[in-house]
Amino acid sequence: MSFFDLKGTLKPLTALKQFGKEPHTITYPKVSKEAADRYRGFHYNDLDECIGCGNCSTICQNAAIDMIHLEGIEGGKGDSGLRPRVDHGRCCWCALCVEVCPTGSLSLTKDYLYVSEDPDSFLWTPGKDNPGGKEKISFFSTEETSLNVFQRVPMTEIEGTERIKSFAEVVLGYSEDEARAEASRCISCGLCTEVCPDHMHIPEYINAIANGNDADAVRIIYDNNPLPEMCGKVCTRRCEDVCAIATRGEAIAIRWLKRYATETAKTADIIHEIVNPEIKEANGKTVGIIGAGPSGLTAAYYLALRGYGVTIYEASAKAGGATMYGIPKYRLPLESLQKQVDYIQSIGVKIHFNTKVGKDITFKEIYDHYDAVFMGVGFPDAWSLGVDGENAKGSMQAYRYLYMINSGEKVDVGDKVIVVGGGNVAIDAARVSRRMNAEVTILYRRRVEDMPADWEEIEGAEAEGVHIIPQAIPIKVIEDEKGNVKAVEYLMAEMVPDERGGRPKPVAIEGSNTIIEATAVMAAIGQMGDYSFMSEFEDKIKINRGRFVTNDKQQTTDPKVFAGGDAVNSTADAISAIADGFRACKAIDEMLSKK
Amino acid sequence: MKELKEQLINRIKAHFPDITVENNFNYNRFDVSINKESIHSILFYLKDVMGFKHLSDTNCVDWLEEGEFEIVFIVWSPAEKIKIFVRTRIDRNNPVLETLDMIWPQLHTYEREFREMFGIQFTGLEAPDEFILEDWQGPPPYRRDFDTAAFAAETFFERPGREDAEDVREAITKLTGEEIPEFAKKYSR
Amino acid sequence: MREKETTLYIGPQHPGITGNMMVRLKVTGDTIVKATTEVGYLHRAFEKLQEQRNWLQCFTLMCRFCVPEPDPAEESYARAVELLEGREVPERAKYIRVLVLELARLGAYMLWYGGQNGSLGLYTVGQWSVGDRNYILDLFEELTGGRVYHMYIWPGGVRRDLPKGFEEKVLRTMDYLENRLKDYDDLMFDNTIFQKRTQGIGIVSKEKAIEWGVVGPVLRGCGIKSDIRIDDPYEVYDRLDFEVPTQEGGDIWARALVRRQEVRQSIRIIRQVIEQMPSGEYYNRIPNPQKWALPKGDAYARTESVRGEVGMYIASDGGTKPRRTHFRGAAYVHGVTLLEKVLVGANISDVSPIMNSLGVCPPEIER
Repeated sequence: MSFFDLKGTLKPLTALKQFGKEPHTITYPKVSKEAADRYRGFHYNDLDECIGCGNCSTICQNAAIDMIHLEGIEGGKGDSGLRPRVDHGRCCWCALCVEVCPTGSLSLTKDYLYVSEDPDSFLWTPGKDNPGGKEKISFFSTEETSLNVFQRVPMTEIEGTERIKSFAEVVLGYSEDEARAEASRCISCGLCTEVCPDHMHIPEYINAIANGNDADAVRIIYDNNPLPEMCGKVCTRRCEDVCAIATRGEAIAIRWLKRYATETAKTADIIHEIVNPEIKEANGKTVGIIGAGPSGLTAAYYLALRGYGVTIYEASAKAGGATMYGIPKYRLPLESLQKQVDYIQSIGVKIHFNTKVGKDITFKEIYDHYDAVFMGVGFPDAWSLGVDGENAKGSMQAYRYLYMINSGEKVDVGDKVIVVGGGNVAIDAARVSRRMNAEVTILYRRRVEDMPADWEEIEGAEAEGVHIIPQAIPIKVIEDEKGNVKAVEYLMAEMVPDERGGRPKPVAIEGSNTIIEATAVMAAIGQMGDYSFMSEFEDKIKINRGRFVTNDKQQTTDPKVFAGGDAVNSTADAISAIADGFRACKAIDEMLSKK
Repeated sequence: MKELKEQLINRIKAHFPDITVENNFNYNRFDVSINKESIHSILFYLKDVMGFKHLSDTNCVDWLEEGEFEIVFIVWSPAEKIKIFVRTRIDRNNPVLETLDMIWPQLHTYEREFREMFGIQFTGLEAPDEFILEDWQGPPPYRRDFDTAAFAAETFFERPGREDAEDVREAITKLTGEEIPEFAKKYSR
Repeated sequence: MREKETTLYIGPQHPGITGNMMVRLKVTGDTIVKATTEVGYLHRAFEKLQEQRNWLQCFTLMCRFCVPEPDPAEESYARAVELLEGREVPERAKYIRVLVLELARLGAYMLWYGGQNGSLGLYTVGQWSVGDRNYILDLFEELTGGRVYHMYIWPGGVRRDLPKGFEEKVLRTMDYLENRLKDYDDLMFDNTIFQKRTQGIGIVSKEKAIEWGVVGPVLRGCGIKSDIRIDDPYEVYDRLDFEVPTQEGGDIWARALVRRQEVRQSIRIIRQVIEQMPSGEYYNRIPNPQKWALPKGDAYARTESVRGEVGMYIASDGGTKPRRTHFRGAAYVHGVTLLEKVLVGANISDVSPIMNSLGVCPPEIER
């Protein structure tokens, strides 16, 4: 090739044809380009939607996200009260924080220009420091794109028509694979532990299950709950209501996971082997406990571990209290409860069965004999309907009915059962009656969605063919000539909004009288205490509105006496009773070890 | 492809009877493990006789718990379109291997890096001591027991102004008085 | 008069060098006698960092191995994870991945036009091509939310579906780019200066190329037809119709011609991908990233980048974090052992053009 290669010299000159053209990258006068609809610019956080779970901070590989307290954000009930602050000097704009945010409150915006001489000014709180970001959101997560797994692993159950044939347990429990899969959905934020009355170590045991270490999970669970298998089956599980995943999906099945872990220990001996409890040497002090319900058993277990001589006095033939006699066996089989009680007894807790305080032994004897007393006496009596004809034969309390069935007694309810109420007791009585081959109708004053019963129980009842008539107020039980229940008359109600902002009230519609045939009527509208056993202590141990007055350590107005369970708290569930027992144990230990 | 892989494996086995083969991959790959004394001869054989001319990659994996380094050579045959992972293990406490850079010149670079990052000595490797690191006095940094996060925390300082950050789990336990037992803390987030 | 041997340092800060690295030259006159690659200026210990991150977090590091063309590393990592886990990728995701990879290839070639010509003092081409690359970056911004660091191809598929009307925009950009190629030809390949400075310079011998670990356009410039997209096909490349251009000679000129043709092939692939794009899912969801463990074992996946083979090796001990990862870039070979060989006998002023033509990307060497 010669140096004077004409083509090779002239061709490059064609560049000159661009000379008169307008520039095609920048326009004059300069206009800043608007970022694309998916642009990953600065963060924006909707502070009201954010629950402070900290998942953004966990996924951030650059440690750019801190969780901090903001003024005016208190937290509680599913909100940690913390909010993310981003060091935009460390951020790499990968937006994984957005992808894992369970609520979808965190997003990225189109804002990307920020110039400052002060490097510290890159540290700011999205949402608080850029309220205008809300209008410029570009990169966000939807239920479809989110990296949270919003679908729960479904639980296997016996089919509705099949299960009313027996008292076999309805819920079959997770298999190992199912449990691992369900546990791995958890983001370990711990918001659940706040609302758990007992503050169980939920993220820890779920993580242990996810890691395949069930034994560790059991040990963690037994740290503050000696009846976990019972809770794993029937807990009211307020934890699941505040689950971070539940903001846009289905809550982690915390209850079923606990059930899975505890069921890996098949006998009391195996529980003992796994938990391997450290029992302190006897310290010579003794505690008397009245009632072998969840609160009494819990206090007894942890006091015994701490070296106290513990004796429980139980009026019935079996331990468990309301969980033994109130909950039907298709939800909590006898063997399961028995296993847990056996384990508690195996570490040295003594239980005197069929010993009613006030009849077989006086309260004073116990009071004088022990260094401290704990009362977990529960609510043994039920409210009656308070309508005409409620003393007819076949009209009964649902709670008594469940007690008798659970004690193995025969109760004839005929073939048409009416249950009045909307709580778990009402549903239990209804589902038990279905198993007695009766047609069952529930009358409830409010709407179905207002029912205080567990939604899974309501669904279970419907699947078993229980008929629910909402907004129905019974006004009369009609007897036949023999004095047996023949029918129930009720009024339909309309829901009237509460002027003070409470939940809507049912108001009977005049003239809407309806009569429904019945062979039995069960009232399930609440229970109450019976404190006659300690009448001589009425002055010392105060009772207010049917419950013991206690301080935050479960101590009654008599410093030596502690109380817990239904007779103290108003939540009426087992886990609160367990929490009371655990708190009382710590307080009793503190008090007695000082002496 | 399955037959081809079997064929190749049989050919290798005929020369190197003491190899362990793993062939349960549903794509064009199989693995061959061999003791470190034979690694030269098998690589030469694969490259010069069997046509696995291209060295895709070489890696060192630190199996700290087992006290061994695993060296993986990934070789590719442009003709057969198969890749073989050739593995060998060496003692972690006495990590010595003869240099292999006469087989593929680029192994020279890999060896320099492994020497620096894992502390593996290659006898016969002629190269300056330093490759990537400069004036490094500490242990070989890519070994599993070298904690880079701790090193960074010791060496550098955090920008002030972020001390008020809280751990969500801890903040909740403070609120509720929950006491997480020591042994359970490893399961916390 | 006997010429004295002098030591000369090119880099780490030098406009003609392709990143933060240094080449130490022993020269007599202006002929290079010995060249040594010195690295250590941007070591970030990515591989060690990944051992402290979970399998998802690792993915965000991938784009940082090579800024001009970040997607092949993302692709290799995603595919390695999928191989190890046995995770299926939806069809649509495969096509989108190919689209992204080819767009990235075009973007990187546009940058190479600038680099290769800039190293010869022909700056106009670079100004044009970097401007044209911006149109591709606009597409990336719309698709992925980022212009340079896309973080888009991740294990299980891609991060978001194609935005509405995206296909038409891509086709429009392809038409524009295709029309522009003639301008580049005029200014670059038909330019005497370009020809004189590239022909017969920086020769890699055909006999030794494979053994030396040469890959990509450099290998194809030696007359060897080798392309991972054909030899070890991934995603849907085996369903697409395209050619693998080769050139004899092994010099800078041959490599430039290979790249010139590959730009046209990429446009061809992109048009086919858009035409064949199936509907359906774009992502096979991974489990909760915090608790996502991969089975014990290892995997290696490789992707054809503009520099050649870009591979990702991952080893898992069964946990939620890698036991070890290793990134294999083409420059690991091209930038050290190959460069040191090719530079011997070359002129000092040819160092920069040779480095550009070999695709030396220092962050691939020391990561």
